[in-house]
Amino acid sequence: MHTLRRGLLAGVLASLVLAMFDFVTDGVPGNGLPPVLRWFGITIADPAISHWAGLCLLIVLGAVWGLIFGALQRDKLITAGRPLLTGLVLGVLWWFIFELVLTNILNHASSPFSLSFGRFLASFLLDVLFGMLIGAIYIQWQARPATETS
Amino acid sequence: MRISSLARKPKQVAATASEELAVAPPITLSERSSTGLALLRIFVGYLWFQQLFWKMPPTFAGLYGYVVRESQHAILPGYGALLQHTFLAGCPSLSSPVGCSAFVPLAACVWTAELLVAISLLFGLFTRLVALLATVLSVQLYVGLAYTEWIWTYGMLVLLALVLVAVPAGRRLGVDLWLAPRLQAAGQRHRLARIASWFV
Repeated sequence: MHTLRRGLLAGVLASLVLAMFDFVTDGVPGNGLPPVLRWFGITIADPAISHWAGLCLLIVLGAVWGLIFGALQRDKLITAGRPLLTGLVLGVLWWFIFELVLTNILNHASSPFSLSFGRFLASFLLDVLFGMLIGAIYIQWQARPATETS
Repeated sequence: MRISSLARKPKQVAATASEELAVAPPITLSERSSTGLALLRIFVGYLWFQQLFWKMPPTFAGLYGYVVRESQHAILPGYGALLQHTFLAGCPSLSSPVGCSAFVPLAACVWTAELLVAISLLFGLFTRLVALLATVLSVQLYVGLAYTEWIWTYGMLVLLALVLVAVPAGRRLGVDLWLAPRLQAAGQRHRLARIASWFV
């Protein structure tokens, strides 16, 4: 249970980092959030609501990924390598499901696996980073040093 | 002699005390500070990552205008000529890289270096080594473009990169967290690992 809770919080925080990236982009801040709704075929006409709903859904999905991550750790005393690797794999899975297959299906692409180099670069690295962050945040909560300084 | 010896003693004690006071106490970063620096590292990595997309391969055309500007406004004497004889060698036009003999391979090197910086800073992988590379790239931008934009734009980029050279920001929320203790342990036996451990 403890690992599930830690995984869930790690997933939420990692998804918040992913969401923050959308606020330091050129153009309208938060433009990457409505596409999260479109992964599930949801379209909201009001831009403000769609941005907030996209953010909420992203955090919920992050929490789900974090729960899966926590379940995979199974209360074991772990070294840093295992959660980092698990996180990276979950990041690749996130990219594959949402950014590749679901986006292609909903955009009526010729194949669910069609991908340009630019789209691959823009999505793959950030999604893998999301996964790695889940693992890294989880590790930091596992062993906190006794002394807190400056 | 005895008197003078006795007279010197308080001075020696005072000197020792002042030496002790002059030694700066060691600074240990807390978990919160380290995590804050790790977040800074991730966002600096994202900064470099975003800048890949306006100069994408295979033409790297977006970079061309900037190289031309650098060749015209460089603050170091001779740097403009260096660019003209390398990146811009044989270029028939200042508006398009078509016909340039060396632009594409050299631009590919720049783009790859920036990709490397972006990946390493985002993932915290050999962070300090790559922060050195980011410093070199930023200094180059400063030399070429500082006076064409707000003077601190590229100056801040240099300073940000230097912060990441100075602080091991990859050891939190990064792969260096896993790598650093392994390299330090291996560094006891292998010289290469000891050198590599300086850069995480």
